[in-house]
Amino acid sequence: MGNNNSDTESILLVDDNPTNLQVLFQTLAGVGCKLLIAKNGNGALAIAGKALPDLILLDIMMPDIDGYEVCRQLKAVDATADIPVIFLSALGETEDKVKGLRLGAVDYITKPFQPDEVIARVNTHLTIHRLKREVESQKDKLAHELEVVSEVQRKLLPKELPKIDGFKLAANYETSRYAGGDYYDIVELPENRWGFLIADAEGHSAPAAVLMAMTCALFRAYPDSADDPAAVLNYLNRHLCKVAEPSFMTALYAVYDAGQQTMRIVRAGQPLPMIYRASDKKSFELECPGVYPLGIEPYDIEVPVTEIKLMPGDRFFVYTDGLSERFNAEGESYGEERLLQPLATDSASTPQDVVSAIISNLEQFAGDHPADDDQALLLGIVD
Amino acid sequence: MEIKQKEENGIVSIAIKGRLDADSSPEAEKVVKEALEGQTTRVLFNLGALEYLSSAGLRVLLSAAKEMRRREGKIVLCSLNEFVKEIFEVSGFQSLIPITDSVESGMEVLS
Repeated sequence: MGNNNSDTESILLVDDNPTNLQVLFQTLAGVGCKLLIAKNGNGALAIAGKALPDLILLDIMMPDIDGYEVCRQLKAVDATADIPVIFLSALGETEDKVKGLRLGAVDYITKPFQPDEVIARVNTHLTIHRLKREVESQKDKLAHELEVVSEVQRKLLPKELPKIDGFKLAANYETSRYAGGDYYDIVELPENRWGFLIADAEGHSAPAAVLMAMTCALFRAYPDSADDPAAVLNYLNRHLCKVAEPSFMTALYAVYDAGQQTMRIVRAGQPLPMIYRASDKKSFELECPGVYPLGIEPYDIEVPVTEIKLMPGDRFFVYTDGLSERFNAEGESYGEERLLQPLATDSASTPQDVVSAIISNLEQFAGDHPADDDQALLLGIVD
Repeated sequence: MEIKQKEENGIVSIAIKGRLDADSSPEAEKVVKEALEGQTTRVLFNLGALEYLSSAGLRVLLSAAKEMRRREGKIVLCSLNEFVKEIFEVSGFQSLIPITDSVESGMEVLS
């Protein structure tokens, strides 16, 4: 009978009866694996722990410790927990079989057995075990690769936030899985102006990370001074249209004039920016007409620019929808309304304090329900 | 999420119920793709029972809209609830895909 077994694989045969053991040994001599034997429960545990076989055929009724107990102990130790166990027993009642399978055995064969049946089942379980190991190893490899991507990605974010005259900043960035699609950046422009970009690639993981990295490269390679927000958005869109399909990238770009305390904003699919007015201690979403996300098709209309004048103590807040669409265990989303509250926290706070208030409010809402999207935010407070 | 599709008088109608998000969008994407496999040039999405739509869900609708544009066909989204409509407006998608208040008015757009 054909199989893919190799002599690097081993099967442990456990039976206290020497004749049974011999019959079993002869039955499986042709399967192509190394065969190990144990004559009692303690011996089985010792060999299993040392040799880590690929499969164990386990008798139930043995004088020292019985097969059920051996199985229980194997499953309790990490190193041996994943080794498939097949019970081989004269106990043929349904309840015996159920008991064995409940302990984590993969199969149960009743003695006296048919040699061909044992061989067939052994081959099946060796194959399943092999495939399972391959999947695990591929999974580990993928997770490792995504971790590397994530490390590279974090290097693309600003190492530290710039010191802007009269405008203090704080930011926060978290990815839901290893690699993420969120991005923020700040560039210095002539005459004490600053460009703020926040963007979010649709989707997660590797494809989103590629779009994120590409947006970062495009933004930093912008040929002019990134002073005209609509031109920046058109430029990013033109280039992303060539590569983003079937995905897209939402973005918000704002140019802050530190001398005039004005913010000029363009928005492509990103959530509305939020403003906190110190004069009336209220926060609100800024009405800010926008265009569809980047990477879908060129804009055939003029990209609308919204300008707002900020006053001392005012807060300017942009974020990705991983915050507003964070869910709790009840399936309820955090929402924009809730987000406005911590933004309006005590006016004497530093940007870092406000960001902490926002994050802790969000975490409190979500409880132990994990984030399934990336979360990025950027906050500035006028002195 | 539940998704159903039917074809009547050359119009493919796709009704989506529940949540269209990162979890359910692969299935929706598959159904939509299969529904558009014929040579249809008119598609109506009935979103009256759609409760939640994430960016992954927007992508599914966008793919269908792009396919219809390639075929020089027509697509319309109907009966969006307030929440879903707001997502469309804030994300700017309303300028990419036509929206109507009811299935009847959607049919008129397609005819």
